[in-house]
Amino acid sequence: MADRWRTLAREPLVHFLIAGLILFLIIGRSGGVDPASRTILIDEGQIARISASWEQTWQRPPTADELDSLIDGFIREEIYYREALRMGLDQDDTVIRRRLRSKMEFLARASVETTAPEEAVLQQWLSDHAALYAPGAAMSFDQIYLGNEMEPEPVLAQLQQGTDPADVGTPISLPRSMTDASRAEIARQFGEGFVQAIDTDQIGEWQGPVSSGFGQHLVRVTAHQAGDPPQLADVRQRVENDWRSATLAEREEQAFAILRDAYSIEIEGVD
Amino acid sequence: MMKRRWKQSGAVLALSAMALSACQSSPPEQTAQEIATSPDGGTSACPSQVYWGDTHLHTANSADAVFNGVRLTTEDALRFARGDEVRSTTGLDAQLARPLDFLMVSDHAEVIGIGRRIADGDPELISDPTIRRWHDMMNENLEQSTRAARELIVGYAQGTLPERLADPEIARQTIASTWREHVEAVERYNEPGTFTSFIGYEFTSMPTGNNLHRVVMFRDGMDIFGDTLPFPANQSQNPEDLWSYLAAYEERTGGRAMAIPHNANLSNGLMFAMNDFEGAPLTSDYAERRQRWEPLIEVTQFKGDGEAHPSLSPDDEFANFGNTGWDTANLDGSAPKEPEMYAGEYAREALKRGLLLESLLGVNPFQFGMIGSTDSHTALSTADEDNYFGKFAMDEPNANRAAHSIGATLRGRVGWQYLAGGYAGVWAGANSRPALFDAMARREVYATTGPRMTVRMFAGWDLAEADLTADPCSLYERAVPMGGNLTGTGDAPRFLVTALMDPEGANLDRVQIVKGWLDADGELHEQVYDVAWGDADERSIGEDGNLTPVGSTVNLETASYENSIGDPELQTVWTDPDFDPAERAFYYVRVLEIPTPRWPVFDRLRFGAELTDDIELVSQERAYGSPVWYSPEA
Repeated sequence: MADRWRTLAREPLVHFLIAGLILFLIIGRSGGVDPASRTILIDEGQIARISASWEQTWQRPPTADELDSLIDGFIREEIYYREALRMGLDQDDTVIRRRLRSKMEFLARASVETTAPEEAVLQQWLSDHAALYAPGAAMSFDQIYLGNEMEPEPVLAQLQQGTDPADVGTPISLPRSMTDASRAEIARQFGEGFVQAIDTDQIGEWQGPVSSGFGQHLVRVTAHQAGDPPQLADVRQRVENDWRSATLAEREEQAFAILRDAYSIEIEGVD
Repeated sequence: MMKRRWKQSGAVLALSAMALSACQSSPPEQTAQEIATSPDGGTSACPSQVYWGDTHLHTANSADAVFNGVRLTTEDALRFARGDEVRSTTGLDAQLARPLDFLMVSDHAEVIGIGRRIADGDPELISDPTIRRWHDMMNENLEQSTRAARELIVGYAQGTLPERLADPEIARQTIASTWREHVEAVERYNEPGTFTSFIGYEFTSMPTGNNLHRVVMFRDGMDIFGDTLPFPANQSQNPEDLWSYLAAYEERTGGRAMAIPHNANLSNGLMFAMNDFEGAPLTSDYAERRQRWEPLIEVTQFKGDGEAHPSLSPDDEFANFGNTGWDTANLDGSAPKEPEMYAGEYAREALKRGLLLESLLGVNPFQFGMIGSTDSHTALSTADEDNYFGKFAMDEPNANRAAHSIGATLRGRVGWQYLAGGYAGVWAGANSRPALFDAMARREVYATTGPRMTVRMFAGWDLAEADLTADPCSLYERAVPMGGNLTGTGDAPRFLVTALMDPEGANLDRVQIVKGWLDADGELHEQVYDVAWGDADERSIGEDGNLTPVGSTVNLETASYENSIGDPELQTVWTDPDFDPAERAFYYVRVLEIPTPRWPVFDRLRFGAELTDDIELVSQERAYGSPVWYSPEA
């Protein structure tokens, strides 16, 4: 437990979250002024924030007229906001509760959504999940399709005696051989069961029958290499997508766990 | 000497036979990634592989999806389609056994993202009492949320939505921020050579509940697409205005785009009407633009199959697939179907009308290829009977979904009438945006109702039996692929067809060629030819013209079948026995699987679903190739 706290305390997210909470609860709540006050000051910083928020949506700064109307809108909102707080309208309103919850969740996610992860972080992710990104084993093989009725043994015997593979089997529009094909490439043509049934240790020998959705085959593996470890440069975008997606979910849970730990919760009437 | 030649399809980016023969002779030294990321995106490579995908999928950015409870995003949809495990809205962990090669998330453009804002309780919106009520319903439970969805859809179809939803400022903000977030996710997940994600959306035109929906698809990435925004149907319901927007997009950016209509079966005769949107007779200008912007239709999906209808094709014993429930009324069930409406709703009849219109206008407005898609509103693109994930969140796997009424949004329909969805098969030389888009623009594509069977067709005069074993890449020099045009004056063209079963699926019953033609008196006709079939030593065409049925191995108790009937592969080189060189005609392939159990049978096995007697339990899944058109030389 203490270890976990120490780890968490080192997490930049936690620093961010706590700072965010303070900002949110103390400053963000009232726009920097006491809600009881009837003075509204629109300073340059405020105007800059209004303008920036507009720009974020429209990708250009507002014109003077647009800015004027944005400021008018802000003043109107501020007045209503303060009056509503005075009247206690923020209490027991389910919509406000939901909004606040989603804002809290957003705070937990925000740092991950916007920051570009460091190279080392992605490299670490890649080594931890190498199997997901490995190009996979590559196999070269020849196959002869027998259909569902042809006996495999006599054909196998013929092949072992040197018969040309082109002279045996039943025609079908499947490739007679594939070179350096990944497992997925073979499976899309022959089905997953076929790939699984091939004995990749048996190189250069005809083996079978190997079953696919189409029927039976004889197969000769001519080469088989285990996949090279994936390089970050080759899979960078995918790694970053996956890291971001997983980290978002994780951060949200972590942030909640921290808050949750500070509460003692009793539920009455439940066995 | 008989005169003959073939011209490339009307699509601008048609491949040249030269380019194809050149690339086919070079050995495959490049990896799939290298071809897909090469300067032309693999567009000049021989279309040697069929790529599988879905161009019609909704997420929480679609108002009807989020109102119906779905909370999954663009990113979830893309992760699922490329093969990752994703947790569904109802908490089920879902993963595709076979990933897709491409996906286009196509959310409804009409104030895209607005439903999420309502669900989140945006103060500007929930100040309206109706919207506030919807917000509460959406957050209460799935049933209430579905009820709110119904109110929304009926309100949209009938033009009675709260005014706040039409507030231009709210709409602009919502669209701009949602769209940017969406396009960024689409961009991040596009991996040429591995997985393609297209930028696109749905244009949801439905005057008085008659479905004129189109998905809109872009060939381009952010570098060209830039800050382009969707064109929504609340701006104009007229598809011609959508085409003008597409033309303006191409003009402004140098990019490429197309629109793909779907659910003509719910248009009450409007989708392939003989008049334009305003009711005026079609012109050659209209025909040119329609052919240019709409080279494809989505012919099969959850909400029924639109290839053929028994009332239009009484001699076609297989014309009744996926019609039940969908052929009674328009989309929202607000107007029943009248018999004369069917002709404007089904693909085969539309292709026939196209021949007639071409003879009158000089251009065929209905010269389209065919693809399948899902139209799933769960962000999960599933199309198989054994993994049907449902149309909306309430249809995610559960014991009641087959027997439950779908509700007022699609009034009068029952859950089991949903099909398990379809996919698009695209013949391309690489898995990249440009290669796939160009294949779709030249119509070298086909629809399936879910199974991934491999279907090829070539048409021309220099095709022989021996070409069945030739490298298909070599045939482009002598023939046109599906989607192409032939022009001639003399002999009947030949059609080379191969159909290979889905390696994880069912054997094939038969391959058919569907022909439609316009005779000298201006009358339209159709004929379905059985050209190859399984168990050929035991089956033949009887005196009634029908092939002996393939039989059935379906076991309803175990939701299974055996591949002991039918064949894994069917192929032939076929010549039309009734060919008349003076008559305009089209030919497309229809491939039927042997009978297999439908998704409600799996529900009974897995969840103990109670199935009523009227529920269809068995079907013959199928593929529809894009046509080849023949016209007499002028």
